[in-house]
Amino acid sequence: MVKPKKLSIFNLKNSNIFILTFFLIILYFYFSYDFKVDHVSKAYITNQGDNTVSIVDLETLKKLKTLDVGVAPLGITILQKKKLVFVGNVGTDDISVIDAVNDRLIKTIKLGTAPLSLASNFEETEVYVTDWFKNNVLTISVDEMRVTSSLSVGITPSGIAYNKKYQYQVITNRDANTLEIYDKDHNLVKKIETGNHPFGVYSEGNFAYVANVYDDSVSIISLVDWSKYEFLVGAHPYNVRVHNKVAYVTNTVDDTITIYDLDSKKTIKTLDTGETPENLDLNIKLNLLVVTNWGSDSISIFDTQNFQHIKEIKTGAQSRSFGDFILQ
Amino acid sequence: MKKIIFTLLAIICSTSALSHGPTPQKVQESVTIAASPAKTWDALKNYSEFNKIMKVRSFKDKTMKIKYELIKTDVPFSDYNAQIRVKKGANDNESIVQWTARFYRTYKLNPPIPEGQDDATAVAAVNKIVGPGLAGFKKSVESK
Repeated sequence: MVKPKKLSIFNLKNSNIFILTFFLIILYFYFSYDFKVDHVSKAYITNQGDNTVSIVDLETLKKLKTLDVGVAPLGITILQKKKLVFVGNVGTDDISVIDAVNDRLIKTIKLGTAPLSLASNFEETEVYVTDWFKNNVLTISVDEMRVTSSLSVGITPSGIAYNKKYQYQVITNRDANTLEIYDKDHNLVKKIETGNHPFGVYSEGNFAYVANVYDDSVSIISLVDWSKYEFLVGAHPYNVRVHNKVAYVTNTVDDTITIYDLDSKKTIKTLDTGETPENLDLNIKLNLLVVTNWGSDSISIFDTQNFQHIKEIKTGAQSRSFGDFILQ
Repeated sequence: MKKIIFTLLAIICSTSALSHGPTPQKVQESVTIAASPAKTWDALKNYSEFNKIMKVRSFKDKTMKIKYELIKTDVPFSDYNAQIRVKKGANDNESIVQWTARFYRTYKLNPPIPEGQDDATAVAAVNKIVGPGLAGFKKSVESK
């Protein structure tokens, strides 16, 4: 009588261990999956000199991987919800699409023209590409992964930004010294003068911010009444980003960034970067500003709470990343 | 047959190089000089040879960097900006001088690009300035 009872207890224990192990395995996968998808913030750096994209983990501040893309990658945009990275290759006239979960190249979209900069709409159904030589803005359908329409715009379309509030595409025409604003149906809303040689552009809320390379200034343009305000920065500014009423501007010839308070209209700080800093993007959650250094083949990382330099990380040759390049 | 394939390859390679977009070109060269960084930096600030081609835009003692812009106009490149910096060498009496130039080709419109206005011509012209320029500076510092 005793023996079978012991056996049954043993059996029960055994099955409990199995259930527990199974449960633990599920838990482990659940958490590791969750961690992978939601918590790794990364910077994608286009290296125009060696045809690669460097991927940097913004939590550990270490380089994770280098991916081969097309020739001379420059422009970039990230679909945050779909976790896709679009990279424009001006040497091969195509777009490399990277899956940001596994960091693998999943598609090459042929354009037949040089893609300068990229932006996506808020819904992430479309990616817009400025076509430098033929003066167009191309629309790529994200579902179909191909160009589905083309819009003729002013000469030398350079930077492009998407304004979520008004669903506008905002484009700089570098050699015409203008900013063009198109609505979601691709109708021209406004063409307005900027400073000399407008390149990088950022747009949020009621404003567009433009870096005027030859004027050493940034123009703030109201999308409501089209009024303009200009402030001076360092030499040859290339791009601008704004967060919490603070503007961050790369000064390519000074090897610095200007941090400008939009409320008090004063420069808060000028900080040293690597050589020829071109573009910049912010990680809101981690309070980080990342700057690409074309001259020193690296990125400079800054703390946006105390405006201090944290680290410089080597990337690839001629790092540029023109556009949004941080997976939040 | 081999010749034909080679020619075809060369044509394919050269046309793909020509179809590049408006990409800034980079020439970066370094030279090691047998002098302390402080001495080299001082010599660089007082070196007049570079001023025949470029004008000093700014300099910074802290980082030992000089920024230049171009004054020569009859050159096959455009939008030239450069910096020359002094870094510490392998020991206290050695320094490294690095010249980084950023520029574009002269032709910025749609391909086809006219001969002599392409990226390769621009890079070759800047190489001719940077290489001998650094060699001349090295000689000048080390002979003192």
